[in-house]
Amino acid sequence: MNEGLARRMSAAGQPAKGTPMLAFVLRRVMQSVVVLFVMSLVVFSMINLVGDPVDMLVNPESLPEEIDRVRRDFGLDQPVHVQYWKFLLGAISGDLGKSFIFGRPALALMAERFPATLELATSALVISVTVGLPLGVYAGLRPDGWGTRIIMGGSVLGISIPTFWLGLMMIIVFSVVLGWLPVSGRGETSRFLGIESSAFTLDGLRHLVLPATNLALFKIAMVIRLARAGTVEVMALDFIRFARAKGLAPRRIVLAHLMPNILIPIVTVLGIEFGTLIAFATVTESIFAWPGLGKLVIDAIVNLDRPIVVAYLLFVVTLFLVLNLVVDIIYALLDPRVRLQGDET
Amino acid sequence: MTRTGLLSIQGLRTEFSTPDGPLAAVNGVDLEIARGDVLGIVGESGSGKTVLGLSIMGLVDRPGRVTAGRIAFDGTDVTAFSEAQWQGLRGNRIAMIFQDPTTSLNPVQRIGTQMIEAIQAHRDISSGAAWQIVREAMVRVGINSPDERLAAYPHQLSGGMRQRVVIAIALLNEPDLIIADEPTTALDVTVQSQILRDMRRLCRDSGSALIWISHDLGVVAQIAHRVAVMYAGRIVEQGATMELLKSPSHPYTAGLMASMPANSPRGQRLVSIPGGLPQLSNMPKGCSFAPRCTRATEACEVPPDLSFISPGHGVRCVFPLHVGAALAERN
Repeated sequence: MNEGLARRMSAAGQPAKGTPMLAFVLRRVMQSVVVLFVMSLVVFSMINLVGDPVDMLVNPESLPEEIDRVRRDFGLDQPVHVQYWKFLLGAISGDLGKSFIFGRPALALMAERFPATLELATSALVISVTVGLPLGVYAGLRPDGWGTRIIMGGSVLGISIPTFWLGLMMIIVFSVVLGWLPVSGRGETSRFLGIESSAFTLDGLRHLVLPATNLALFKIAMVIRLARAGTVEVMALDFIRFARAKGLAPRRIVLAHLMPNILIPIVTVLGIEFGTLIAFATVTESIFAWPGLGKLVIDAIVNLDRPIVVAYLLFVVTLFLVLNLVVDIIYALLDPRVRLQGDET
Repeated sequence: MTRTGLLSIQGLRTEFSTPDGPLAAVNGVDLEIARGDVLGIVGESGSGKTVLGLSIMGLVDRPGRVTAGRIAFDGTDVTAFSEAQWQGLRGNRIAMIFQDPTTSLNPVQRIGTQMIEAIQAHRDISSGAAWQIVREAMVRVGINSPDERLAAYPHQLSGGMRQRVVIAIALLNEPDLIIADEPTTALDVTVQSQILRDMRRLCRDSGSALIWISHDLGVVAQIAHRVAVMYAGRIVEQGATMELLKSPSHPYTAGLMASMPANSPRGQRLVSIPGGLPQLSNMPKGCSFAPRCTRATEACEVPPDLSFISPGHGVRCVFPLHVGAALAERN
């Protein structure tokens, strides 16, 4: 999170003064290509250091000729730089290689799994905002209340309790002991507006609740802390006092004056955090056997399925690059002071 | 001039609780303001003038609160008002303008939205009708092309224009009383005098009473009918502006006037009052100005009562200046 924030706050990340929006976007896209290239180089050379995938692909009792044939078939007999060059040529035309295990293109496999992860991450994000924002604002408005003490204590727990442990506890309590919710899997999905999701069926929702809540807990705590800090800061500002001097109702002050101002930093952070939700759903997906990207990549790492791991890492990097850009644009839309700078030529 | 009373403050005390006990930022203030009256409150930073203004608005935040005294607005005691009652009063019958126009407006909302909500908080009126009122208010405070400005965000306006917007908002509901807390301090001198002139005109047109809070006696002299001088939470002298300026009776008032650059001969070092405001936690027993006063004796160790030099000209001092002159004049 801090890294993401730092990147966002850096001079290069901001729409520069006097630069039109289009030029800003183009420059960022070019920077992104460079980052992707460097990343691919790093990932490719690192992955070659961790074990020989051929060992996983053939029966250890096979003849040496058999092993050599497999090695040749996958192109693993060639020097690393030649392998990389081939990968790069493929990547430019949109081919990130075939999975050693499944024998199918890595991108196609990821595309199959992505909706499940996206659904999980989006649900977690929605939960963290709808729960975290009101609690955080409440805590900020009543700094001395007992409710605030409970909320802030809870947020400390939310940040410090490990996700995997909490996930297991949730399964034990809600699925095993109480039997309210299913233990694992994605459940029944259905199509609505062209999107396939389990959020549209009751069975799917029952499967979604636990993993999404588990993934959201840390973010809820984070949103609470951000919202509270923002509320305390903004409520002390002159325009809030002036709004009160105008005789506005407290409700109006909170909704029209406080919220838009605290949302600016929260949106910034959440944009980046959405990336981490997708990228680090791995743990939650493993615990709840959620058939998403995280589970795919964990399996790929265990089986040394290089193309999947490389494709996944490049995907995550792309995701963060895109999110950063989107956050900058949303930020400009929320904050008129930034918008003006982007519009001027 | 026959003016009926609008605001009557008696023995107002506003305290802030601290770990070392309560500190009184406003300590026994009495004030009377009639309809259409312009009262200037003068004092240094920390003299309690802003807290006095906020107390009248019911906007003193914790850890501060009004602990004693009575504020009667138009005959009603408002000190015991509920938050809902205050809401009906604020912005509607009493409006307040703050010091810094750059921070008084919400940066992420359009000017028009912030003006319309001030009307709709008190009147059941359509946005279209409110827009008309808001447009006229903008023109009245001297803002050209109001439609363009109303669609703008605060950062797109200059400081002077923002303060005009704030003044326009204060005037929207034609309040009986406007409290202006140093509204021109953050502006440059030319804009300052324009705003001052406009404020005086606008209040006269609308019949609103005005409390003008400032550290600048010169500014107050330009606008106020009456002046109250505040020192360490107390009003040490008050009277009609002309009389008070002609014959200041409290040594502090006299010191303030002597330290005005306009009153010093060119090329000479400006006069200043030695020392600084006493700490609220460590107030002198008697007259709070005594430690800085050249005329102080043991008699000043008892809090001085209010004495009247002439009708309407009161002073809290054991040894007021010009008493002889005033008495001579009266005889």
